[in-house]
Amino acid sequence: MAASADVCLIGMGAVGGILAKELASAGLKVVGLERGVNPPYADYSLKDSIHAIVRHSIHDSVRHEPVARRNRRGERTRLRTTSSPTNQVGGALMRWTGQSSRFTPGDFKVFTNEIASGVAARAGADLKGYTVADWPISYDDLEPYYTKYEWETGVAGEGGENPFAGPRSRNFPLPPLRDTAKSLLFKNACASLGYHPYHTPNGILSRAYKPPAPFDQRIPERPACVYCGHCNGYGCHVEAKASTLFTHIPVALDTGNLDLRTRCKVFNINIDAGGRVSGVSYFDANGTVREQRAAVVVIGGYLYDNVRLLLLSRSSKRAHARGLGNSHSMVGRHIMAHEDVRISGIFDDHIINGFIGPGSGGCRIDDFNGNNFDHTKLGFIRGGTIGTSGGGPPVERFNIVPLGQPKWGAAYKEYFARYYTRMFDLNMQPETLPHKDNYLDLHPTERDAWGIPLPRVTFTAHENEKRLHRFLAGVGEKIMKATGASQVWSSFTRRGSRWAGGTRMGTDPSNSVVNDQCQVHGQENLFVIGSSVFPTMAGYPPTATVAALAYRAADFIRGQRSLFQ
Amino acid sequence: MDDIALGSPSAAKTSQQERFRALAAAEAKVVKAAAARIFPTTDTPGATEAGAVYYIDCTLEQAFPKLLPAYRKGCAALDQHARKKFKRAFVALTPEEQDGILTDFEQGHVPGFPDASDFFSLLRRHTMEGVLGEPAYGGNRGLAGWRVVNFPGQQFGYADPYIDRVVDLEPVALDGPFSQEEVLNGRKR
Repeated sequence: MAASADVCLIGMGAVGGILAKELASAGLKVVGLERGVNPPYADYSLKDSIHAIVRHSIHDSVRHEPVARRNRRGERTRLRTTSSPTNQVGGALMRWTGQSSRFTPGDFKVFTNEIASGVAARAGADLKGYTVADWPISYDDLEPYYTKYEWETGVAGEGGENPFAGPRSRNFPLPPLRDTAKSLLFKNACASLGYHPYHTPNGILSRAYKPPAPFDQRIPERPACVYCGHCNGYGCHVEAKASTLFTHIPVALDTGNLDLRTRCKVFNINIDAGGRVSGVSYFDANGTVREQRAAVVVIGGYLYDNVRLLLLSRSSKRAHARGLGNSHSMVGRHIMAHEDVRISGIFDDHIINGFIGPGSGGCRIDDFNGNNFDHTKLGFIRGGTIGTSGGGPPVERFNIVPLGQPKWGAAYKEYFARYYTRMFDLNMQPETLPHKDNYLDLHPTERDAWGIPLPRVTFTAHENEKRLHRFLAGVGEKIMKATGASQVWSSFTRRGSRWAGGTRMGTDPSNSVVNDQCQVHGQENLFVIGSSVFPTMAGYPPTATVAALAYRAADFIRGQRSLFQ
Repeated sequence: MDDIALGSPSAAKTSQQERFRALAAAEAKVVKAAAARIFPTTDTPGATEAGAVYYIDCTLEQAFPKLLPAYRKGCAALDQHARKKFKRAFVALTPEEQDGILTDFEQGHVPGFPDASDFFSLLRRHTMEGVLGEPAYGGNRGLAGWRVVNFPGQQFGYADPYIDRVVDLEPVALDGPFSQEEVLNGRKR
């Protein structure tokens, strides 16, 4: 058996990378277990749409671990391969869009501000079955860590632009990325309608960057974005798009305190006779079962695996009979996802060239996000961000066809040949509220490549989301028409992206899984960090908030010297 | 394949002499004819000149051999439906007749072949990937697909955002992986 580590990190993506740097730098001996590979440059630099987009589902890391999906209890599941977890060193950050928004103060207090206060009643919202809870922490608790994340990874943005954003202790370290045809059209349209467009904060460097003092100057310098446009879903050939593979993990390795092991698939969190977490069991690259003892274990994967590992780690102890941290059957509850609403527009009067980067496309408004607008009689609470998107090589765009138009033949060809360079989309990120019927558990029969039960997602939009989606589509169409588009149409994708929840953070162990430091209730040396701890998910991508939680938990863990004695 | 002149009859002839690796020759003819209707040759090159059928053949050989049976059955069904409706093989039909057959497939109106609409979706998707994907996968020959839609290909970046301007760059395809040194030395930035 290997020597005991101070900390065992499960997953070496955003969370694992940040914790590895922070904890290894504090002199702790860290073992990082990553089920995927350490990707070589040739893998993530390819500007290849067939490899990265069309065939991502056949890559080992993705196809080995599908997710079973269904909309409601009692339905049959369908297996879906998804690249969201990405399953390699550097994690989902190897393929993300780069959008790096902080949540706003109100995003942490939805129950207090909108349900208890009467906003929901005035709106006429139907919240039957919803399980909304406040976060046990506030924006102010995370603000220093948001700042640290932005300055260590290099986030491009302009702090003063968005009047709905929370207060900042520092501006972004870098100016916004270059404007594009679509961002200019969007900005002008929004301004003409009285909205407040801002540059989407982006974890992509607008200039060559290395963190200045007082931030960690050991992080290597990286070059600026070249706007190649092979971005969303692709790696970055200049490494301007942030991943812990380029920023945090090299620093952690340089300390000599990180033992990074790839192709190691953890399948159990081990408990000793006293009921205390003692380490983990995993399959190594050869499929051999190994054990790693550790004083502290941190589960830092995508929510599918954060939930799955807790549920798999059952023991004969009564408290753990249904899995770790699950004595109140809260593990897997309250999952959420953005179900994207897309507004497409084609232009006769403008050339857009949407394939030119940056990938996450530029600008956004918060006027219809959160509680930023009057909900009286709208029938729902909360909202969503609305921003530009819709780039990428043509193989990603050939299905973008106005409703009722042919999808093949000479007329289709004429359409696509003319409009591929004359189209873009608005992308909404509508907040989904936690609901009792949306949950994650283990599939009773389906197994992954290691013979481990697959995660089973039971998820669908409920009444609040349906009403919100219709409302946002209306706003989006109005904006797209104001850009001067010749034709505008909307479509809904019901597959879900940017998932959250499943190991909710809270103060009461009877209705949450981890406490305000991401520490599993009743298990002082087990942490779960990721979007899985979000009680509510906001209308922004989760990454910046996940990173801030990781930095905050690292501070806490480092301070708990008694755990390492 | 780089020396194929776009749209010239000799190019088509050269292509026909290439061997198929997953599809049988007769199946390849059906796929090629169907692809030619899905993304037809007009005043600009279509699926034929782009060699979409070669992309599909490579895909069925290398990435998705499990889809070969669907193509086997689908090609046979296209032919059968053509013979039933027009008394001729699918490849022998006029373009308008072929469109009629493909429309029946798209709408799932093919008696005795419940998979018709799924097969049409697959064929359409693969055809478009073969027209618009990277040429390393067998299609998009001469970068014909990228030229038709005015996409400049695997550029290493854009010095200009090309706002309201046609991108005046010659399309490029990468001939394989490149090294980080090449990028860092600025040759491919």
